[in-house]
Amino acid sequence: MIKLNHIFKWYTNSFVKTYVLRDINLEIKEGEFVSVMGPSGSGKSTLLHIIGMLDEQSDGEYFFLEEPTHTLGEKARSELHKNHIGFVFQSYHLIDDLTVYENLETPLLYKKIGASERKSLVADTLDRFQIVGKKDLFPNQLSGGQQQLVGVARAVITSPKLILADEPTGNLNSAQGSEIMELFKKLNSEGTTIIQVTHSEKNASYGKRIINLLDGRVTSS
Amino acid sequence: MLKSLLKTALRSLLRHKASSLINVLGLSIGISASLVIYLIVHYEFSFDTFHRDGDRIYRVVSKMDFPDAVFRNCGVPVPTVKAVREEVTGLEGETFFITANQTKVGVVEDRASAPKVFRKQQGMIYADNEYFRFFGYRWLAGSQEKALAEPFSVVLTESRAQSYFPGLAPSAMLLKHVTYDDTITVTVTGVVEDIRQTTDFIFQEFISLGTVEQTGLKAQWGWDNWGSINSNSQFFVKLLPGVSPSGIEEQLVQVRKRHREAKDRKDDTQHFLQPLPDIHFNPDYGIFDSSPSPVHKQTLYGLLAVATFLLLLGCINFINLTTAQAAQRAKEIGIRKTLGSGRAQLMLQFLGESFLLTVVASILSVAIAQSLVDLFRDFIPPGVTYASVFQWHVWVFLAALDVIISLFSGTYPALVLARFQPITILRNQMFAGSATTRGTSIRKILTVSQFTVAQVLIIAAVVVSKQTLYSINKDLGYRRDAIVSFHVPWSFDAWQWSRTAGKSDLRRFTLLNRLREIPEINTISLAGDPPASNGTSSTAMKVNNGKSIVETMVEIKYADTSYFGLYGMKLIAGRNLLQSDTTREFVINETFARFLGFSNPIDAIGRSIQRHGMIPIVGVLADFHTKSTHQAIKPLAYSSAGKSSFMFHLALKAGDPDSWKVALKKTESAFKEVYPDQNFESRFFDETIAAFYKTEQNTARLLNWAAGLAIFISCIGLLGLVIHTTNARVKEIGVRKVLGASVTGIVSLLTREFMMLVLVAFLLASPVGWWAMNRWLQDFAFRTGLSWWVFALAGVFAFVTAILTVSVQAFRAASANPVDSLRTE
Ligand SMILES: Nc1ncnc2c1ncn2[C@@H]1O[C@H](COP(=O)(O)OP(=O)(O)OP(=O)(O)O)[C@@H](O)[C@H]1O
Ligand SMILES: [Mg+2]
Repeated sequence: MIKLNHIFKWYTNSFVKTYVLRDINLEIKEGEFVSVMGPSGSGKSTLLHIIGMLDEQSDGEYFFLEEPTHTLGEKARSELHKNHIGFVFQSYHLIDDLTVYENLETPLLYKKIGASERKSLVADTLDRFQIVGKKDLFPNQLSGGQQQLVGVARAVITSPKLILADEPTGNLNSAQGSEIMELFKKLNSEGTTIIQVTHSEKNASYGKRIINLLDGRVTSS
Repeated sequence: MLKSLLKTALRSLLRHKASSLINVLGLSIGISASLVIYLIVHYEFSFDTFHRDGDRIYRVVSKMDFPDAVFRNCGVPVPTVKAVREEVTGLEGETFFITANQTKVGVVEDRASAPKVFRKQQGMIYADNEYFRFFGYRWLAGSQEKALAEPFSVVLTESRAQSYFPGLAPSAMLLKHVTYDDTITVTVTGVVEDIRQTTDFIFQEFISLGTVEQTGLKAQWGWDNWGSINSNSQFFVKLLPGVSPSGIEEQLVQVRKRHREAKDRKDDTQHFLQPLPDIHFNPDYGIFDSSPSPVHKQTLYGLLAVATFLLLLGCINFINLTTAQAAQRAKEIGIRKTLGSGRAQLMLQFLGESFLLTVVASILSVAIAQSLVDLFRDFIPPGVTYASVFQWHVWVFLAALDVIISLFSGTYPALVLARFQPITILRNQMFAGSATTRGTSIRKILTVSQFTVAQVLIIAAVVVSKQTLYSINKDLGYRRDAIVSFHVPWSFDAWQWSRTAGKSDLRRFTLLNRLREIPEINTISLAGDPPASNGTSSTAMKVNNGKSIVETMVEIKYADTSYFGLYGMKLIAGRNLLQSDTTREFVINETFARFLGFSNPIDAIGRSIQRHGMIPIVGVLADFHTKSTHQAIKPLAYSSAGKSSFMFHLALKAGDPDSWKVALKKTESAFKEVYPDQNFESRFFDETIAAFYKTEQNTARLLNWAAGLAIFISCIGLLGLVIHTTNARVKEIGVRKVLGASVTGIVSLLTREFMMLVLVAFLLASPVGWWAMNRWLQDFAFRTGLSWWVFALAGVFAFVTAILTVSVQAFRAASANPVDSLRTE
């Protein structure tokens, strides 16, 4: 599903190249559950953004579903986002002007899912994450943990093929955290590919494979 | 989807209250101005557009060339009509009518009781049957073929008929009688429906043309004279399909060649075909004799320009504030993109938001339009009222305007916003983003253009006011304060119906003697029009100046012995006129003397003007203005002619308004004794003169408003930008204060850049304003200068208003406690 060949990522600041990713070679098959680990600043988020086609590599090739991504236009990319990928961000990123309910509904709207199906999907998800009581609140009325929960819920609501999660449990208590992990495990067993960034060994253990990053290089995978 | 987008849009509008308010306010001012101006323009252009085959209907008009003047007249010599009917080919039909003066109408109900009297009825014409076919009337009684076939018959419109015969059915009105000026009786032979569409054909009473031939009117209107043209004779022709107007115009030349008298001289008269839609607008010919003046198309275009400018300024505010706030929307854009929203979808979303805002502004402007209509009531044609807003085409216009505005103001911000890449936003790298710096320079350009427009409008407003003041206060060559004049009825009324000229009416001399007894009146003159008046009567005069015979058009006015003294006009050569019943001698103006070749006015004395016999020049007056300062001073001659004098001029006690009231009261009662059935209507001379500048005064008022609104919209836009910058720099301000910066230092830091923009705008606006107003002033033969202070005033005004607006917000930000702003980060 995902194939990275010699991926480099650098930033040029006053003519000095700062490497963030160096020569990453990776293959992730459909149905895998991968955890990316490494110290802060090692390039985990950057790697995830490149896999999610939110960022572009400086050099190297990336194939998503057998297709070379650098040839994809903006339109094709947003089609992939819409239909195949669900994101959970490190800093949750909800739309401030929309309520919890509406935030969950938005990806369904972009997928042009009919009103009645949308309603039942949102209701199910609210139920599953036990946030029914919060559905009419705005993000700034929620705690960090609750926001993160909504972020995860929004990523899974469209049942995407691939979930990219950047520290999905960073702000959750351990009970909530393990619930999310259980959910991921269940989704994974139903066929969803999951790539998560995490600092926690415990969370990593839910996955089947761990990729270690250090200074932009894969040290083990 | 739509619902969700609408929700986000509404919430985002509500969250940014200040800028939403600024945007809505700015746009609604522009939209309400456009709305009212649309109503005016639509109304003016809807005149007489509904006539069947209107594109083939033309009015035959005349142009007369004299050596030093061209006269245009909307009429034709009466015999032309018959000749054209018989000799011109390519016409489907012709109609001829004569517009009549105000007339006293008596309605005979039955033989026993006295007739019901309507004084000063208007809207009467002498017409033929064809008239009704040309202009499409619906008959309620009588028939188009027969109604006006006989002399002494009349057709009434339904509304006029109802006022004469209330409650009667149209068919029952036939054969009723109506009298005109107590002398002639006509029979009602038809009733037609009033025209409901907008039209200049507002006639209500149609007397058969044959009536004219049976009365003294025939002689008075030069019925058989090829050399006289009266603007009351209206000749319309309808061309056969495919016939070109110029072909008909050529045939008209031939017609004149065959018929006119004095074939030895060159023909100075030429006829043209004036298209029906042109009548409402063409100042050369006027509409009809009694109609208001034609609509000045230039004014309509000026109004459109004002509306466009105001709209542009509102749009600029929208563009500036939306792009300035882009950073705040960026996060939402990033998230939506990761959720699968395409760029086009985002653009649609933002365009939708600008549309929503425009619609809100439109709703508000429908309310504002009400006050605009009230405010400019005397500027807006009476046919346009606030109720005119509620027509379907107005809503179509508003909807179209909204779409245009939202596309115009929304496209650029939408492009900017939709271009954001999610990664930069998700990583909080907005500060480094280059999109914002580019946006800044575009915002600067837009702000400069805003203030340029505003300052040009201020310059225009100042110059127009200055010129109007100059014109009103200029030394016109005569005294104008504490002078009242009024008309007495022409004795003409009485004899116009009879074949022979009737007894002359001497009542005015009785009144003159009565008025002489009133102590509050200093001087009295019984003469023609005052030195400056609306009407002009000119005639060609030939003078032998000793070398050759010179001919020119000369304006004729009537004075008596006290007239020049009363108006303080200076005789620079010769003597005053002697009292006389008919013209025996002339006093001419300096321009006429100069035209005749006498650089020293005294040389003109004793020369004779060829009229009916030779009439000597006995005096020369210093030049004075007979019209507005638009016009150069032209040759003019005064004579004393008691028979043509129907206007009283009273010099009251200068500087004593209380005595004026007494004088007027006494004058009125004397007038009523002499003319019991007439209304007394007097007018102060200085008001007459001020009325010449009504257009300029209206323009000045309109420009004052436009300039004020323009500066207002621009300043609230500036305010929005300052609010934005101060919010964005709140941390920087805090740090600077902690480091010891003073409040004034910070205020100047925040405002300096904006004030530079206003200054740049001033540098641009001055030459543009100078150029435009210099052109406008060319229209005046006598004009004020474009002094430097006009520009300084505009600049200072814009600068001060802007700095006040900006400083208030900057001061608030600068005096906030730095600890608060730093802690929240
Ligand atoms: N625009 C940029 N210019 C220069 N360096 C950048 C830029 N963006 C990111 N970096 C650098 O890239 C490196 C990798 O960042 P990244 O966010 O991928 O780390 P991370 O592994 O996700 O860390 P964390 O665990 O703290 O989230 C960091 O050292 C960061 O400073
Ligand atoms: Mg990270």
